[in-house]
Amino acid sequence: MWSLAYGLIALAVVAFVVLYAAAHAPNFTTVNLADQPYGAKKWIAEYLPSFPKVDATSRFRVFVNVVRVARANATAYDYGTRQCTTFPVYLPVGYRLERAGENVIYQIYLNVTRCRYTALPRGEPAVLYEIELKHSLDQLPWLEVYAAVPHNLTQYYSWLHSYYTAWRRPPAVGLTPRVGADEAFMELVKAEHVLVYNATSDTAKLYVAAPAAALYVLLVDYPLKLPLTCPEQIASASSESQRSDTPVIGPPSPR
Amino acid sequence: MIAFRDVLIFAGLAALAAAVIASLFPVGEGASPVPACSDCAFKLTGGYWIRQYGNYAALYLDTREVVRYGWAYVDGRPLSIGENATCSPAMYLWVINGIAYVSCDGSPPRFGRDVLGPKLPFVDVRISVDWRSCRRTIEFDADLTERYGVSVEVYDEEGRLVVSSAGTIPGSVSFSIPMAGVYRMHIYAPPLLDEWYTLIAQVRILDLLRAKVFTSDSMQDLRSFASLKIFDLTNFWKKGYTGVTVHVNSAGASFTLSAPADAFADFLLAWEDCHNCDPADGALYVDEVWRLTFTQTNIVLTHIYSGGDFWHEVYVTSLPYGRVLIWAWNKEGPKLNSYTVPWFTTTVWIESQDSTMNARATFVKEC
Repeated sequence: MWSLAYGLIALAVVAFVVLYAAAHAPNFTTVNLADQPYGAKKWIAEYLPSFPKVDATSRFRVFVNVVRVARANATAYDYGTRQCTTFPVYLPVGYRLERAGENVIYQIYLNVTRCRYTALPRGEPAVLYEIELKHSLDQLPWLEVYAAVPHNLTQYYSWLHSYYTAWRRPPAVGLTPRVGADEAFMELVKAEHVLVYNATSDTAKLYVAAPAAALYVLLVDYPLKLPLTCPEQIASASSESQRSDTPVIGPPSPR
Repeated sequence: MIAFRDVLIFAGLAALAAAVIASLFPVGEGASPVPACSDCAFKLTGGYWIRQYGNYAALYLDTREVVRYGWAYVDGRPLSIGENATCSPAMYLWVINGIAYVSCDGSPPRFGRDVLGPKLPFVDVRISVDWRSCRRTIEFDADLTERYGVSVEVYDEEGRLVVSSAGTIPGSVSFSIPMAGVYRMHIYAPPLLDEWYTLIAQVRILDLLRAKVFTSDSMQDLRSFASLKIFDLTNFWKKGYTGVTVHVNSAGASFTLSAPADAFADFLLAWEDCHNCDPADGALYVDEVWRLTFTQTNIVLTHIYSGGDFWHEVYVTSLPYGRVLIWAWNKEGPKLNSYTVPWFTTTVWIESQDSTMNARATFVKEC
């Protein structure tokens, strides 16, 4: 009988220790902070082609996960009717993107504020983009900028025109049907760029010098790739008269 | 046998032993040490608290210092030096890059500044037009849980409010533009939308054959190239005149028209039937005089005056009959003083014995 009593006491002690330890032991999990921005960027990259495209700046100011576009006309060769046709395209000129991971808010704001023809110190013609850049995480050491130079602009637009005839919606340059789908028509060259931080505002300025023949520049915050165009340059380059200072880019040849 | 007394004694002894052991616990070694890590998360139960010092933040279990971190943030705010923070019953602690983030409700800390500002759900605005009634429908499509009010206001060239209608997002707003002109439309639904659009509603006159369009009097002899003078009276009615007198030739012939009710656009058609019958100051452009009025949904042709010695014929295109003879002068044929075309476009032919004066014009309502 007394042994049973001691047994009960021992049980009570053991139960208390186990419960107390279980309740008070620090609950430990590891945080993988590196994966979260990657996951956020991958999610944005996946849905980027389907994000709404707006051309009103008032909407670009308040909506999130939208692409600011400029509407333009492109000329394509229609293989069905065997003649040149004009169709509307969207030129992406800004992004307001957000995706929150568990511990990370990934936001990127890009907006082409100015772009114009310029000459590089070497004398090459180039298009200078001035892009507003806001980023929620002050870490863009791996930001890369490429310029997409079309091998044959008409061929590229004819390919886009097939999406226009299929969807009856203007396709977006660089975004239709997804970023990178046009690699057969484009050559990506590294574009010179400089990022200028501003001490008094959140907005950094990204200056990109792209070859004059480039259709768009591609900002890469791996794995997110964002094409940005210069509507003024495209309007002047794709009007009826071919620009005289635009070099004709042939198929890439080994150098 | 175990008596009730014995059970009471056992229970009392058990409680005594538990109390003695429990009282020893916090001042001793603790349940288990807090691991030192650079990227991890804990749930800490018990008397844990954190204190910020000048160069580190220390996590305490009651009085014993457990671990040190670079700095402590509580609910997104960094602690100031000398400040304490604690949570009961449990403290959630994230350690990232050696910085401690504390929250009491278990919500994970978020990194990244908000650089975008307002983040509202996307509203798709689609404008569709019915050309016949010039009715515009603005559809607002959005994935919203609540409805936002939206007001649509349309102003004319002189800034007068023409249409004001209200709706909801998601939903649609529709309105008709009452008169041809250029309008500014304001879509206002703070904070979602604040946009201005330009709307053009007009009657385009095209495919002119020996015809010319005027917006005021024309008294000249234009027989060398035009037998039909088309006077656009829409702007007079828009300005609020109740009547207008149109002079069509230098002999002083004029036609006085009163303001139509509910017209979208209004034209006076004055036609000359003969190339060389009258002198330049004679009774020109009074052989066939018609009024062509675009109402909200139809086109109405009204006969005003006929004269001259030649025969005339007036044709219009109308649904579903095609080209219809509506008026014959000095000739066998229909004499319809008024004819309604139930469509948004029509072509008018006026023909005579002198085929060099045959005239034609097509009117299209474009919204």
